Amino acid sequence: MANELAGYVITGLGTGCGFALVGSGLVAIYRVTRVVNFAQGTFAVIGAMCASSLLSVLPHGIAEPLAVLAVALVGLLVGFVAIGRPGTTPQAALIVTLGLAIFAYAVVVLVWGDQPRSFAGVPGAVTVLDGRVQSHYLLVIGVTVPVFAGMALFFGHTDLGRALTACASNPYAARVIGIDVRRMGLLAFAIGGALGALAGVLLTPVQQITFDSDVTLIVNGFAAAVLGGLTRPAVTLAGGLLLGVTQALVAGYGNAAHQTEIALGLMLAVMIGRAARRPAALEEPT
Amino acid sequence: MRTTALVLAAAAAALALPVVLDGRQLGIYVLAGLAAMVTVGLALLMGFAGQISLGQASFYAIGAYTAGLLTVNGVPPLLGLAAAPVLAAGFAAVVGIGLLRLRGHYLAFATLAMQLILLSVLAQSEWAGGAIGLQGIPRLSVGGIELDEDVHYAYLVLAGLTGTLLVARNLVASRVGRGLRALATSEVAAGASGVPVGRYRLGVFALSAAFAGLAGGIYAFYLGYLGPGSFPVLLSVEYVVMAVVGGLGTVSGGVVGAVAIVLLVQVLNDIGTRPGMPSYAPSVLSYAVYGLLLVIAVLYLPRGLVPALSRRDRS
Repeated sequence: MANELAGYVITGLGTGCGFALVGSGLVAIYRVTRVVNFAQGTFAVIGAMCASSLLSVLPHGIAEPLAVLAVALVGLLVGFVAIGRPGTTPQAALIVTLGLAIFAYAVVVLVWGDQPRSFAGVPGAVTVLDGRVQSHYLLVIGVTVPVFAGMALFFGHTDLGRALTACASNPYAARVIGIDVRRMGLLAFAIGGALGALAGVLLTPVQQITFDSDVTLIVNGFAAAVLGGLTRPAVTLAGGLLLGVTQALVAGYGNAAHQTEIALGLMLAVMIGRAARRPAALEEPT
Repeated sequence: MRTTALVLAAAAAALALPVVLDGRQLGIYVLAGLAAMVTVGLALLMGFAGQISLGQASFYAIGAYTAGLLTVNGVPPLLGLAAAPVLAAGFAAVVGIGLLRLRGHYLAFATLAMQLILLSVLAQSEWAGGAIGLQGIPRLSVGGIELDEDVHYAYLVLAGLTGTLLVARNLVASRVGRGLRALATSEVAAGASGVPVGRYRLGVFALSAAFAGLAGGIYAFYLGYLGPGSFPVLLSVEYVVMAVVGGLGTVSGGVVGAVAIVLLVQVLNDIGTRPGMPSYAPSVLSYAVYGLLLVIAVLYLPRGLVPALSRRDRS
């Protein structure tokens, strides 16, 4: 029993890291622009697809970062469409990003086809506490943790990061002191694109990706981000790990088919619980 | 008066069309009518109550499964059809108590989650046919007369749509409708003026579900087969596209949006299935169109086709 448990927990932590990365991309964009980017799962899908193509000509370690960079550009483009036009409300921008996510289906199917794709990750398996785990999960965890640490440093201790945070807490005051809020919003979209792509690139070797995998990723990422009120990256990481481990345990000891219900039920409970504690008036657009 | 003339002309065309259309075209007519019924409800919900629903296809699915399951188990089809909107509305009212505490993007994701959970439950439930679905749903029969031709269903859909439109129009023109419009602008102000905000929001949510449920019920009898795969998340998105393109907050916008998009997608389908086109062409074309239309409509035509056209009329 005990060795199974360790295996499930590490597998869960690995997928949870993926959810947390998707969720933190949502957070990075939401903090600065108040837009929930529905195309966040799409970034992961495009990142994975790009990496699978690049890997046919480039070695591991070069292809993956290039794919992440490419999707940062895609993120910039999405941001341009979503918030580039002055006067677009966050509500409208959500629907615009939904439209872009559907449009991306067309592009992905056209370029990469509609069959699931995957590529090799770290080969082999390791033994942790008597449980066998695919080594790749350790890489996923090993990359995600420094990325979150780096984000905390970036947002708290660099000028650019602090400017982003300023836009998040008070856009008006940020504009007064000379920060270009729109440019910061675009930058946030690029960061979101990179984080989403990183999730896709890391998860693909252990979970095949199809063009419509984005729905699962965005819903789980949103669930992780919602725990932190869509603004706190650290809580998003905790939320993603919690979701991943819960799903792995449900799949391992119970019925794999119930994974979705559990994760979504948890998300609904958290959202409704938070809404009940806070009067609706506070969430009205002003 | 021009509006009355337009509505009369549209009604006459809708009445005459099933007689002249051939088999495949009748199928498109039925699907467009069903989509219009769902979209009218969604446009009401989004335009008047200011709520986004990314799970409208779940009410369509509930209506379809209600009608399908009841008739497969020996209940008279007409009773099954009548139960479809009732059950869909009841489900919406119950989940709405929780979900409608949420606003904006939270509600959008919550309704999406609702649909994913529903699909997952349906796919695992033996009594609902599991992932394979329900087969052998009998055709609708009224007093011993079986509706077994497409043209019957075309008129059934038209009757359903007419009923939906009448209910929606009367609601919009009533005191409740004015309350809803106030609520969409500012919940606090509406509440302060005595609009029972919570009850109205829940009411519109349930009503839009009833419309979708009725459409789903007709769909079940028309097709005779249902599966979880018939109600993908993309279907919910398609309804949002139709509502946004047609125009939120207008009753006719739902019909215009649904008919325009069903026709457009049909044309693209014809192009996509021509010899020489790759097998994925139809789906690529429809994804591209749904995506682009949604982006363009929100950014450049935020009030939709119907208000934009009628504004041009006046000026």
